[in-house]
Amino acid sequence: MFFCLLQILIPIVCFTANVLFQVVSYRVMPKIGLLKTEFSGFVFGIFGLIIMETITFLIFPISKISFFSVLISNLIIYLSLSYCYFHFVNLAVTARRIRLLRDLHDSKDGMTMDEILLQYNSRDMVENRIERLVNSGQVIYKNKRYYIGRSAMLWSAKIILIMKQLILGKKSEFD
Amino acid sequence: MKILLCGSATFCLAFLIHLIVWKIQMPRRQTRVLKQIFVYNLLVCLFIIWCLFKFTIKPGIFEPLNFFEYIHISLFYLSLTLVYIVTYSGMEVDSPSLVMTMKIAAAGTEGLSKEEFDESLPDDILVKPRVRDLVRDEMATLDGEKHRITTKGVILARLFIFYRRLLGITLKGG
Repeated sequence: MFFCLLQILIPIVCFTANVLFQVVSYRVMPKIGLLKTEFSGFVFGIFGLIIMETITFLIFPISKISFFSVLISNLIIYLSLSYCYFHFVNLAVTARRIRLLRDLHDSKDGMTMDEILLQYNSRDMVENRIERLVNSGQVIYKNKRYYIGRSAMLWSAKIILIMKQLILGKKSEFD
Repeated sequence: MKILLCGSATFCLAFLIHLIVWKIQMPRRQTRVLKQIFVYNLLVCLFIIWCLFKFTIKPGIFEPLNFFEYIHISLFYLSLTLVYIVTYSGMEVDSPSLVMTMKIAAAGTEGLSKEEFDESLPDDILVKPRVRDLVRDEMATLDGEKHRITTKGVILARLFIFYRRLLGITLKGG
């Protein structure tokens, strides 16, 4: 019974450690960037998970099959929660709806569409995003024109496009 | 092994139900319906698993699940569900960064200028639909011409404002 309770707590504790490590490392060293702190937090948590699982295997009398199946289950839980946290951080920084919500939250008497567009419009959005894509090396800026750099973003776009076609049956929300 | 099998099978079933529902009729509020399908499916499946162990499977073949194992299955399942819902929200609307990447890729060796971006991605595509989403999802109301944030929107906005303060992010972002 105690072993089962421990197996629920391990991925949650390691995920919490991941988040704390990421927040503290970004607060201490903001210059290294969000992405690197997210990665370091993830690695910190996954090492913690493997160490904790190994210790429980040494303490409790369980078979190797049970150990590996529980390890895989908890790794999946940890990876899933980390993936969601990665997206949560991205939402806080880049999401349009969150940015609009924050603008509406800061306005005292609400905003008309024109007022919204004055604060946040497609020009700003394209500028912010292209800057991030260039800084991360996904896009190359040469002779006042943009070219594809690293292919990671392009692959993500292609995978999302395939999933859209399979699940939603369309390529774009405007189709 | 029971956690892995029961959790994965329950998730696959929910995914299948979601696909069938989507093929029959695409819901207007997709994420809300998606959450309902996954939550109700978990409750029904946990009950079926409990019944199977209680009445069908003979003792000795499989050890019956204890309370914490049911919680562990739920945690496994809900983690996968969260992953899917997060990914789905990225599919539901067109991500500007992904659209921009595809546009640059489509331009090939010619490349694409910033002016061409601005022309192909106007406010009507990037901003206005997201404002309408806020109204549809009851995070904002449209009062005459004014958009006002609702309590639901305030809660979400404050969560992200708190998190941004926690990290010390000062850039407006978006």
